[in-house]
Amino acid sequence: MKETQFDAIVVGSGISGGWAAKELAEKGLKVLVLERGRDIRHARDYLGEHAGTWQMPYYGLPDRELVAREYPIQGDEPAFSHATLQYWNKDRENPYIRNEEKPFKWVRADMVGGRSVMWGRQTYRFAEQDFRANEQDGHGIPWPVRYDDIAPWYSYVEKFAGISGEARGFKQLPDSEFLPPMDYFAIEKTALARIAEKLPEVTPTIGRVAILTQNHMGRAACHYCGPCERGCSSGSYFSSQSSTLPAAQATGNMTLLSDMVVTQLEHDETGRRITAVSAVNTRTRERVRFSSKLVFLCASTVASTQLMLNSASDKHPAGLSNQSGALGHYLMDHAMIRHIGLMVDNVNSYYEGERPNGLYIPRFRNNFGQDEDADFVRGFGYQCMPLRMDWQSFFNRKGFGADYKDALIRPQPFWIWALGGFMECLPYRENKVFLDKQRTDRFGVPLVSTEFSWGENELAMARDTAVQAARIYRAAGALYWQLAGEDELSEGGQGIHEMGTARMGHDPKESVLNQYNQAHEVDNLFVTDGSFMTSAACVNPSLTYMAFTARAVDYAVKRLNEGALS
Amino acid sequence: MNRRDFLQAAAILVAGNSVLPPGIALSQEQSAFLAAQPSYIDQHELTFFSKGQRNAITTASEVIIPRTDTPGAIDAGTPRFIELLVSDWFTDEERAPFMAGLADLLERAGGDFAALAPAGQLALFEALEEEASDSSWYSLGNIFRVWDFEAPFICQLKELTVLGFFLSKVGATQVLRDNPMGRFDGDVPLGPDDASYNASPTLPTRKYFYQVTDRS
Repeated sequence: MKETQFDAIVVGSGISGGWAAKELAEKGLKVLVLERGRDIRHARDYLGEHAGTWQMPYYGLPDRELVAREYPIQGDEPAFSHATLQYWNKDRENPYIRNEEKPFKWVRADMVGGRSVMWGRQTYRFAEQDFRANEQDGHGIPWPVRYDDIAPWYSYVEKFAGISGEARGFKQLPDSEFLPPMDYFAIEKTALARIAEKLPEVTPTIGRVAILTQNHMGRAACHYCGPCERGCSSGSYFSSQSSTLPAAQATGNMTLLSDMVVTQLEHDETGRRITAVSAVNTRTRERVRFSSKLVFLCASTVASTQLMLNSASDKHPAGLSNQSGALGHYLMDHAMIRHIGLMVDNVNSYYEGERPNGLYIPRFRNNFGQDEDADFVRGFGYQCMPLRMDWQSFFNRKGFGADYKDALIRPQPFWIWALGGFMECLPYRENKVFLDKQRTDRFGVPLVSTEFSWGENELAMARDTAVQAARIYRAAGALYWQLAGEDELSEGGQGIHEMGTARMGHDPKESVLNQYNQAHEVDNLFVTDGSFMTSAACVNPSLTYMAFTARAVDYAVKRLNEGALS
Repeated sequence: MNRRDFLQAAAILVAGNSVLPPGIALSQEQSAFLAAQPSYIDQHELTFFSKGQRNAITTASEVIIPRTDTPGAIDAGTPRFIELLVSDWFTDEERAPFMAGLADLLERAGGDFAALAPAGQLALFEALEEEASDSSWYSLGNIFRVWDFEAPFICQLKELTVLGFFLSKVGATQVLRDNPMGRFDGDVPLGPDDASYNASPTLPTRKYFYQVTDRS
């Protein structure tokens, strides 16, 4: 077994790991990044980019046999296609355990950069009411952080990442440091004008998105080709591949090893200091140990939690930093539901370029207090997308020959305007990940088992998304709408916002991490992926992971330099 | 700049510069990959249909989507797509009813569908469609699925033809059109003869609303 010394080890190279690597390396630390997936190179290995439908097997229809064999979990993801096949976790090779009564979907990438290469790129700040929600309604434990603590760090990461959007001054959705916003579709302008008149509390704005609308930090403005998830050779959206890893690399302080699964963390006799990180090379099966002064877990919520549980010892009998018993519990995701409306305005207006972004309707329920007519706490936003219908929706009609062909060539004379409800999920102790007692993976690590179900609050909120969507469609002048019922709610994990299983808090008796993402019981261990989240809010969380990661590194390095962590 | 121009410009940039400007940065590997990637229908030999079946399918696809002032199904290689999907993408259980439907078509055509006069071909198709008119295949919105294997033969044949036509290179670029890259403008006039953009950047709509696999 080899052993090598570094200042800091970062486990995982996704959104959080990329940020940890960049910040640590820029502060002069020698950083080792361990990534379980294979190596891909930015731009050069985005092999599906700009491919035509005719270049894909079956012209892009799913390869059902392959999906059933290798990707039974990942294969129904919207971003999964022939053009992104190389990025996904092979479920047969790297399985986990689903409880079919309480199913949880674990969406995983398997390459350097992780899910940051395929993420949705929507970026929203949490607001003060989000950080106060737990203590106000009593669900979960209080956040140890206030909006003012994290606001400067939001600004810090936004200036580097590049976020396009409109400054609107919403109290429930603070503005970011914005690049110019993307353009609206004409049909959106029509809908927005009508909504502004009839439903002033509903305030749609262009999606806030980590996609460049002008050249920024050596990356090019978006060229609007459409499917970002295939990878972007012009680096126009933020990913570890396009942004943080190159910055870390440029310092000369980063070593990145791909194909390395971390299996366990070891500590000294006090239990308060990680002394070694054990890993296995997935290709050679070689076992390796690395040591460092600091360890940052950024392996994603489920994987980091698995690792902490699998590092149980005499000093940490229930898993690292787990005297609270909270580790693995309080798993959250965003509940999603999609309503569909039909609009017949602006049918002579078309568009140029594919806008990889929608509209966002910020939370307007239970803002700054409980609405009298709401049978749920907290709230939701809508992510909205107009689609011009074409031959794909109307080929199943009668007829043959030239008339049939002509009818399919032109855009249909209406738009579909989808409203996707994104709901805050409360932290429930019974939603959890834990280690299976019998089964192990190909490296001998106990398999992760999952149990997840929505609570009454999420179901009530799902019903309200339909009630409010009907009001919005009516106000917008939609011709017809079809509302989804609570039975059409997404499965836990489908939001790909899994979080909360190593939550932060003031009190080590009820939380795993302190306000700086530092393990209460292990001084040199920091966890900055979604597992630290004490509540979920209703907005996409990646920006918050970035900000907390940068803040945690700043704190850790200061403490290290003060001699407090050695 | 259309999509093809974009790719060509990118390839030239890559070839001429070792340090790329910020902007277009398609790699050697990528350009080679894309340029070297033939159409799906040209990557495989056709070995499944008999000559008579192939003739019937070829003629049938052109009846459904004929050449007009734009290319038709045969120009777009649609018959090849149909044969590849039936032989390689359909499972045995899914293929059997389709092949039975094809046999029925041939029988009703007196053994050679292609030999019928165009009016006879159309009449036979219209009769099949009339018999199928109760099928839920015709229901509005019955598109958010991978395939409707319960659908009558004539419906499946139409769907195969439509996909094999509009997703092909010819159908996508000469009948439909590429959405230009470079900027986003949410309000450009749509002329009465303007075609839709093709599905290359978006992938089939069915993907947007429907989960494509059955986990069971």
